[in-house]
Amino acid sequence: MRKGVLEFCILSVIKQGEAYPSDIIDKMKAANLNILEGTLYPLLTRLKNAALLTYRWEESNSGPPRKYFSLTEKGAEFYKELETTWFELANAVKALTDAEQEHSINNNFNTPE
Amino acid sequence: MKQVININFQGRVVPIEVTAFDLLKNYTESLNRHFANEEGKEEIINDIESRIGELFQERLTKGATCITDDDVKAVIKSMGNPEDFEAMDDTQSSSSSSSSSASQEQSSATSSIPTGNKRLYRNENDKVLGGVCSGLANYFNIDVVIARIIFVVLLFSGVGFLTYIIMWIAVPSSATVQIGSTRRKLFRDPDEKMIAGVCSGIGNYFGINAWIPRVLFLLPFLSFLSRWGHWGGLWDFGDVIRFTFSPTSLIIYIILWIVIPEAITTSEKLEMKGEKVDMNSIKASVMEEMKGVGKKASNFGKEAAGTINEKARSMAGDVQNFSKRSRGGLGNVIAMIAKIFAYFIIGCVCFAFVMALIGLGIFSIGIFPLKDYVLRGSWQNFYAWGTLFLFIAVPIIAIITWLIRKIARMKNNSKILRLTFGSLWTIGWFCMIMLLVTVTRDFKASSSLDEQTVSLVNPQGNKLVVSSTLPFTKKYYGRNWIRFEPFENLVDEDTAFVRNVFVEIAKSPNDSFQVTMKKTSRGYSRADANNLASLIRFNIEQKDSILLLDKGIAINKVDKFRNQMVIITVYVPVGKQIRINKGIGWPVHIGTGNWDNNWNDDYYYDSEEDIRWQADVDYVMKADGLYTLDNRKADGWNDRYSKKTRNRNSGENYRYDEYDKKADSLRNIEEIKKQKKIDSIERAKEKLDSIKEKIENSGNGEPLSMHVWNVYDPMIGIN
Repeated sequence: MRKGVLEFCILSVIKQGEAYPSDIIDKMKAANLNILEGTLYPLLTRLKNAALLTYRWEESNSGPPRKYFSLTEKGAEFYKELETTWFELANAVKALTDAEQEHSINNNFNTPE
Repeated sequence: MKQVININFQGRVVPIEVTAFDLLKNYTESLNRHFANEEGKEEIINDIESRIGELFQERLTKGATCITDDDVKAVIKSMGNPEDFEAMDDTQSSSSSSSSSASQEQSSATSSIPTGNKRLYRNENDKVLGGVCSGLANYFNIDVVIARIIFVVLLFSGVGFLTYIIMWIAVPSSATVQIGSTRRKLFRDPDEKMIAGVCSGIGNYFGINAWIPRVLFLLPFLSFLSRWGHWGGLWDFGDVIRFTFSPTSLIIYIILWIVIPEAITTSEKLEMKGEKVDMNSIKASVMEEMKGVGKKASNFGKEAAGTINEKARSMAGDVQNFSKRSRGGLGNVIAMIAKIFAYFIIGCVCFAFVMALIGLGIFSIGIFPLKDYVLRGSWQNFYAWGTLFLFIAVPIIAIITWLIRKIARMKNNSKILRLTFGSLWTIGWFCMIMLLVTVTRDFKASSSLDEQTVSLVNPQGNKLVVSSTLPFTKKYYGRNWIRFEPFENLVDEDTAFVRNVFVEIAKSPNDSFQVTMKKTSRGYSRADANNLASLIRFNIEQKDSILLLDKGIAINKVDKFRNQMVIITVYVPVGKQIRINKGIGWPVHIGTGNWDNNWNDDYYYDSEEDIRWQADVDYVMKADGLYTLDNRKADGWNDRYSKKTRNRNSGENYRYDEYDKKADSLRNIEEIKKQKKIDSIERAKEKLDSIKEKIENSGNGEPLSMHVWNVYDPMIGIN
């Protein structure tokens, strides 16, 4: 799973407000989506290089300065595209699985006969 | 008790234990390697490092005095667990195809990377020995069991064993990818050593139990005790296997002992074990999410190509003044052609080299059973083994290893491999040279025994028939699969049978048959050579008209083969007949019986072609030599062999010149001279006649008179 979905999730987290990588991890964890930090950093860098994200430095008192990421205009557009794709996909899957359920229910009805 | 050092990590001073620091260093180095080809590598690593720095700071502010191994391990764990990522990778690439429109573009770009770039790895997670089979199975999408069965079958033919070892060395392990255990180095392990820690070091290197290499090293000694040969037919396959299980392992052990450094410092120990750190995760994730990077990369590629083109153009401009448009293209084309040509040449040379080595290898394996008959003392044996393994096998393995690494697209050429192969090959060279030198020394002197006369009763009839018998009973008639002249067969375990018998037929000075036998040999000194020659047992038996000779000379492992040779001269009286039976197995030769002149040291009869005697044909001795019954002269020089050699000779070959010289001495020289004179006179006469004719026809003699003198044969003047 999660090709492109991961980006979608990250972008949606960042869309809610400036975010620091470990915040993103925490939020995703809270939503039961466990990813490793090792994957997050390269991904963020790539999104940034693709001009979908931008960041600013903020001094922190517990370590080196932190990067806070936010969406660019382009990023917001891209997010919208992803969102529509996602919902299309989700609907399609839902429709299919619903049909599957109905079918199986029908089958259950049918088998006794 | 552990040493603590202070490091400057992301601008902060961090106290850290030495071992933890080594771990951390390994980790960051593996990161570096991992993202080496990644755009924005610095940034990613910087981000990760600053996150690590933050986590460290957290620990320290919580009251820890320093960063420990556990801290680092925890941090590395939180950065990623490879198995998880691998799983993620699989599911992702399979589901990616279903996404549409906007995301499709990116996913198609990314998903092709892990699948398209499938590489061959040894599978560390599912392995019996080195994971070669399961790696191959993965690569070709077949069941592991099938791959293993194939290998086991191959193993019994001896091929599988070498292949497996080569692949084990050459194919990177999957753990290598996880944390660049390309870093894993071969060290001797002092902590778990039995003798010098070679085996446990090897075990560490291949990630196997140290007992496996130990058993492999020990087997030879066991086999040495129980002598595989005694196990009978079971061990008939592959001499290769017998090589593997022989006392040579001791030598290999010692060489490894010398070559492999001991792991002394902590970092060396870590390198030795190649500490598995969870890096696969990061790699996999990097690979699959190259969002947008693909495009950028291709843009970058175009730019790079542009600049390269420009450079090429300016260079071409410097070198030659062609028209502006064609310059770049032409330069590129020339460079390309040169490159292709160079690769082709290098390829050919490499191929020829490998083939030559393999041929040499097969040949030496073939003749190896004979080594005991030639080599004297442990040093020569050592050199022989060294030559076989280090001089012949090592470069073959090295080149195959290199090829496999190339095919598996392992770009980093390992320094250790190169060094090991290089040094082993150097030792191999040394062994080969020493072998040649010492063996040559053993062949240096020649014997000087007198000819023995064998008493012979004159046969009832007019004819003497020469035939041959095997001097031994065919008890163990194991035929070696490669024939190495003059070795014919191994008679039993320590006797070989050498076909070094030569027969010469000469005219008897009186009216009875006579046979003489000369035994010759080489040796390191004349005394040795004489001794060896006198030890030759060669039976000559007469049964009325049949003369039975041994088919060859038995050579044993104690006295060694020093080119012992028996030369039999049969003196045939004038008017008597002689016949040599078919299948005597050695060359026959017609001579004067004057061995000392004809058979000097540098004259050695060795090829089939030299047999210029027709077997199973009756010959009769006349005053001027041997004749067949239908009165053709059988001096050995009129038959097809000598014609062939003469035709292609024309001064190119030293040996054939020798023949010609000998021919002269063998023939009746007086007669030849006479014949020559007659010939030349006749020739000259013919020419004069033709000239005379011409002159008469033309009626004008003056311009032609010059030619008369030119054509005039100088032979007439001399003789």
